[in-house]
Amino acid sequence: MRDCESIRESIGRWLDGELDTAESESIRAHLASCEECRKAQQQLESIDQILKTTLLAEAQQIEFLPFWRGVQVRIAQKTPWHEQALEGLRATFTLSRAAWLVPAGIAVVLAILSLDSYIPGLREGRNSFASVESIDAYGRNVALLRENESKTTVIWLYEDQEEENATADEPAKSAPAF
Amino acid sequence: MRLLMNPRNQLRLFSLALILTAGLVGAAEKNPQFVQVTIRTILAENKTDDFDPKLKGMERQLKPLKYRSYRLLKAEDQNVPSQGTRSFEIPGGRSLTVAPQEFQDNRIALKVRLTEREKPVIDTTVKIPNKGNFILGGPPHDGGVLVLSISATAQ
Repeated sequence: MRDCESIRESIGRWLDGELDTAESESIRAHLASCEECRKAQQQLESIDQILKTTLLAEAQQIEFLPFWRGVQVRIAQKTPWHEQALEGLRATFTLSRAAWLVPAGIAVVLAILSLDSYIPGLREGRNSFASVESIDAYGRNVALLRENESKTTVIWLYEDQEEENATADEPAKSAPAF
Repeated sequence: MRLLMNPRNQLRLFSLALILTAGLVGAAEKNPQFVQVTIRTILAENKTDDFDPKLKGMERQLKPLKYRSYRLLKAEDQNVPSQGTRSFEIPGGRSLTVAPQEFQDNRIALKVRLTEREKPVIDTTVKIPNKGNFILGGPPHDGGVLVLSISATAQ
């Protein structure tokens, strides 16, 4: 059996139809046997009645027609595409929805780093020279040339000039001419 | 489209994109199975002023060498396996051995050895841009000098 205090706390919700069947039955049974609680119920019912009457009286004085027209106009009005896009962007970049920005940022960085692997010639001009890492000419003379205009690296082997002069019948010299 | 409005789904989608991108980057930098090596053997001399029309694409590269005449003697290409070795015959009893070493940053490292009658003339390792070339020249031949254009393309 519930005590009067807890019943009185629940009467309001019972009157608003917020209680389940078992609780409603329990309150109804208590009210039938408790004079004090029934008084509390009647007070609440009379407050409700006064509130309802006042609201209805006030509502009659309000001009609802222009309000409804405004609502109908707004429903019928089509939002321009740029406003829709702006709204979409705002929604996308709100803090709670911006979780994708981190992986997306990483994906963009990776894509930029790999671009030159997929677009031939992208890196040309920045690193298009051949670079000589090591060289052993077994005692011969070697000249290295990096020609800027054609981006060409040349490794040129040549004999000593004195030796070359000794073979005077050699028409083309092998010493570097560049 | 409504599914994409959910941040959880957006995160899933972009994580997938990230994984795929990372995969593509990895694939792009993966060592090629083969490297196509092309050797063009050119005779440079000063006897005439002839320029072999077959060398038209190389005019700018040959210009700094200051010879009057250039003639293509031989052009040969071979698919060389990565970490493999192939030899190219060069006129005058010479041989050029080429071995791709690594592929990194869209550049191919080539180990090149020129020998003349079995004796080594030069050993060099050169990193060239993919589809690029370098020139090795100077060995005397037939009244002129040999100019070798060594190019490589990752397959």
